[in-house]
Amino acid sequence: MTYGSSGGKLALTGRSLNILITGVGGQGLITLATLLAETAIYRGVKALIAETHGLSQRGGSVEVHVRLGEVKAPLIPQGGVDVLLGLELIETARRLKTLSEDGVVLTTDIMLRPGLPGVKLPDKTSLIESMKNVVGDRLIVVPASKLAREAGGLLYANTVMLGALAASGLLDGLVDVEDLKAAVARMKRAEENMKAFQLGFDYCAATCRRGNP
Amino acid sequence: MPSKWLLFPGRATALLLGNEAIARGALEAGIGFASAYPGTPSTEIVESLAWAAQKFGIHVEWSSNEKVALEAAWAASVSGVRALAAMKHVGLNVAADAFMSIGYTGVRAGLVIVSAGDPGMWSSQNEQDNRYYGLLGYIPVFEPSDPGEAKELTVKAFEFSEEHEHAVLMITTTRVSHVRGPVELKDLPKNFKTKGWFDKDPSRFTLVPQNARARREHLVSKWEAIRDALSNLQPFNRIEGDGRILIVADGVSYLYASEAAERLGIDARMLKLATPVPLPKKLVLKALEDVDKVLVVEELEPIVENQIKALVAEEGLDIEVHGKDYTGLTGEMTLERAARSILEFLGRGAVDIPWKPVDDGGLAGKLPPRPPAMCPGCPHRATYYALRRAVNAARVKPVYSGDIGCYSLGVLPPFREQDMLIEMGGSVGAGHGFAKVLDKQIVISIIGDSTFFHAGLPALANAVYNRSPQLVLVLDNRVTAMTGEQPNPGTGINAYGEPAPMLKVEDIARAMGVEKVVVFDPFKIKEATKALKEAIEYVRDKRAPAVAVARRACALEATRRARRAGIKQPLYQVIDDKCTACGVCYNAFTCPAIEVKENGKAWINPDLCTGCSVCAEVCPFNAIVKVVEEGEGWDDVWF
Ligand SMILES: Cc1ncc(C[n+]2csc(CCOP(=O)(O)OP(=O)(O)O)c2C)c(N)n1
Repeated sequence: MTYGSSGGKLALTGRSLNILITGVGGQGLITLATLLAETAIYRGVKALIAETHGLSQRGGSVEVHVRLGEVKAPLIPQGGVDVLLGLELIETARRLKTLSEDGVVLTTDIMLRPGLPGVKLPDKTSLIESMKNVVGDRLIVVPASKLAREAGGLLYANTVMLGALAASGLLDGLVDVEDLKAAVARMKRAEENMKAFQLGFDYCAATCRRGNP
Repeated sequence: MPSKWLLFPGRATALLLGNEAIARGALEAGIGFASAYPGTPSTEIVESLAWAAQKFGIHVEWSSNEKVALEAAWAASVSGVRALAAMKHVGLNVAADAFMSIGYTGVRAGLVIVSAGDPGMWSSQNEQDNRYYGLLGYIPVFEPSDPGEAKELTVKAFEFSEEHEHAVLMITTTRVSHVRGPVELKDLPKNFKTKGWFDKDPSRFTLVPQNARARREHLVSKWEAIRDALSNLQPFNRIEGDGRILIVADGVSYLYASEAAERLGIDARMLKLATPVPLPKKLVLKALEDVDKVLVVEELEPIVENQIKALVAEEGLDIEVHGKDYTGLTGEMTLERAARSILEFLGRGAVDIPWKPVDDGGLAGKLPPRPPAMCPGCPHRATYYALRRAVNAARVKPVYSGDIGCYSLGVLPPFREQDMLIEMGGSVGAGHGFAKVLDKQIVISIIGDSTFFHAGLPALANAVYNRSPQLVLVLDNRVTAMTGEQPNPGTGINAYGEPAPMLKVEDIARAMGVEKVVVFDPFKIKEATKALKEAIEYVRDKRAPAVAVARRACALEATRRARRAGIKQPLYQVIDDKCTACGVCYNAFTCPAIEVKENGKAWINPDLCTGCSVCAEVCPFNAIVKVVEEGEGWDDVWF
């Protein structure tokens, strides 16, 4: 049992993965996290999701912590993020600090305007450039706005990114890609979601698996 | 929608939200009555139960406030029906009067009071530590660490409560209530006891002073029996590992402390506590055997630490006890914080902490912030917009007495129409005090419909009785929106989604003796401005209270209703040639669906537009027009 059986001596040596999902309230972060976690525990791998509700739902900046494998605490420490999965560029950039030494950034190219008067949006290309300066080739920008529209609309960007993450190999040993696909097939609007997943998967299979991830 | 696993009749491992796990625990325990007033992070407990209720015949309700919720649950319990009352931490302040007497009367069937705390203040006005309430009211505190334990501990809490004829206060935090994790489901009972019989016993339940004195004596002796029983609450309270150093941690802090110690490779004895109040002395003394020093890792106040210090002094032990001197008092626990505290406590430097934040060269600091905002189509935005114009037209100096709800976001620019906010219902009570002492400023108290029913009613009675010149502006968006659109006494439906009596704010105001009552539609900016201006002038000239009701449904709720009913949503767009880039729609009205193009002209994002039409009215150049007509019934979904 999760809270009881581990005892005090269990060394947390088994594989674990810390995924920080970030974006804007309403982008489907929790759906994404839940799919990952349910697929993990289906095979007996422990999964924890920590989320903040309330104010963050109103279009604010949101982060969801997903911890898979040999873990206990709900929150990922700053500097402990293995995968920063970004659904929106500004929010991804805001959290580069949280990455571990060899943590990977997998982000959409979507930029959403904060609902404050007079906000100046950063230029997309130079923002991506600044992010590269911090994390180098551990940054992967998925053209999710294009891929999601192909699948049926921007709201499928989360499933595109799930597909990309599945193809990256980062989930190996924790979440089975076929299980994940089956879970996507059970989602509402399954057809669009499966298409989005596949588009993200194919994009990443072709580009992400080089070297690092 | 709650997880379908809540209703799963048998055994399985399911991923549940902490709050769903508590609801499942209550179901496994055969609960018959549940009541709550919503509040983050507690809301999903009763939301889940309401969803499951009808299948099992359980009574589940959204009460008008926490005090009523707790009183009702207590009554069910002393009538022999297992009951649960849930609230956020500050809700227990509202219920405190009842809470403080419940220890005296005790209970019969299990009574579990859930208080969900919010260290870090993710969605609250303070981070009070409600474990103090346990000490104050002589009610034992159960504190689970994760969803799996929350489910088991809920079942245990019902049994414990019944066995000791005493309520249990179950305290969670955001990182338990709003964490999803694996939960071991056990069988659901075949029958739920939902009806009881009240065996009268005035010497116990009627707390006139003479009875209360006797009950107080009884309570104090019972407290020690409860303390002893908690020493045996395995596996929730337990000693792990060994060593001359003891780390004590309760609730979710146990997970942080234990993972931090393991990742740091530190060998220490660990006392995991799920019951910080009252301190299970026997178990703690066992944990203290042969120990040199102790670190208590807990969030917020030194509740466990102080009790252990008292115990060490009582027993004359020569053991150093530390806690808050290393962990600090404010905010929530983290792995870094637990690791740093443990390392410093052991005299080692923080250099050993295995996680280091990346240096992003100041990138994060240069990005625009993204605070939460009122949604596209939110009627509050339109009301704030009209209110500002009404105040200007009436040429008064306003004081906006604020309150808690989605409309609190009116504190942000450009509106800045929440000059203060202290607690729920505070707007009208404080508005009264302001109005009595401010003679050159006009007081406008802004309160949501749910908040009005929760704590606004006594304050309005006072405003009428003591004649305060304030405008009470009730933002009636038909639901309790902030916490996820729960129904309230004004909505016309109950917790199960069935039709229910609908209380009207204007009827109540008139019945209370308010002479000036206006109801307006905030989407009609001109009419709304006129109604508000008149009400403000009435307050200024007559020096008496007025009530204005802004009635329009929450946009999330309205658009959801339209989608379900297959009603076509209209769409508005900007005529580019007519747009002069004046910025009124995106700088003064600030609908998030309206974006700014490079040339300063406005563009409406069709994915976000709710078709509310207000931007078309605020545009001074008539440059915004309807391009998709609404379907039949569109207006009805908004009321
Ligand atoms: C005592 C207390 N209980 C619950 C809450 C949580 N809470 C914050 S705002 C709110 C209700 C807001 O509803 P309403 O007044 O109708 O405004 P809306 O959000 O719909 O605009 C609740 C329940 C709280 N802050 N304090």
